[in-house]
Amino acid sequence: MKTLEEIENLSLEELEQKAAETAAPVPDGLERRLREALAARELAEAARPRPARWIPYASLAVAAAAAALVALPQRGPKDTFDDPLLAYAEVEKAFQTISDKMSVGMDIVREAEQTADMPYNTLNKIQK
Amino acid sequence: MKRIIILFAALLLTFSAFAQNGKSIYQKYSDAENVSAVYVSPAMFRMIGRIPDLEVGEENVNFSSIIRSLTGLYILNSENASINSALRADAERFINAGKYELLMEAKNDGEVVRMFTMGNDKTIEGFVMLSAEPDEVTFICLDGQMSRKAFDELLATQMNK
Repeated sequence: MKTLEEIENLSLEELEQKAAETAAPVPDGLERRLREALAARELAEAARPRPARWIPYASLAVAAAAAALVALPQRGPKDTFDDPLLAYAEVEKAFQTISDKMSVGMDIVREAEQTADMPYNTLNKIQK
Repeated sequence: MKRIIILFAALLLTFSAFAQNGKSIYQKYSDAENVSAVYVSPAMFRMIGRIPDLEVGEENVNFSSIIRSLTGLYILNSENASINSALRADAERFINAGKYELLMEAKNDGEVVRMFTMGNDKTIEGFVMLSAEPDEVTFICLDGQMSRKAFDELLATQMNK
């Protein structure tokens, strides 16, 4: 065993020579553990979501859909009638339908009014 | 991949909600079985508006002011039980998504009629009537810039016929 002073007096070449002579012992299973650790790291890397991959594509899809919606002409349905008089007749029929349905509502209101007036009228008759 | 699918589903929902209007409802159901459909375009309304003083019954009512202000009429009358509930739901979604106000609601013998208008005190920009019976649904949608006063007068005239 060399003293600290002896070690300090050794030259660089002598130190390298001594280090090469005494190889450090490798712990058991170190290689296997290193391999496992590397494999686990690779798996974790692969499993981690990479937003940078799909965000540009998704953004492009959104932009394209929005552009299509705004820029493309909105194709409307085909006119049911070619003749304005026939179309007019249908418009009038539509207004008639709306009025008929509204009349149903008005009839209910009138009936409700009559029912609401009944006690008042009865009281009036009694008072007379 | 899962995120992409969720994103596209959200996109589709957004666009479908955005596109919900009288025209889209008409296009969705007009070709279905047992559905009668009528569409009158703005161009046709302009042509009708050129017809001088149109006759309604025995009276001469000048329809032209209202007709000229209309830009679209969509009518769907469905007796197809398999689509009635979907048509009704779509129409209600469209009404709720817009700035429609309930004008009238009447329930009578299983029939529910609701009328909605959109606009202000002077102008009606949209009118929707949704009538639902157990086996029939009627959807009428009018688009335009109608004078509320003229619209009311027209309906009153028709009601007195």
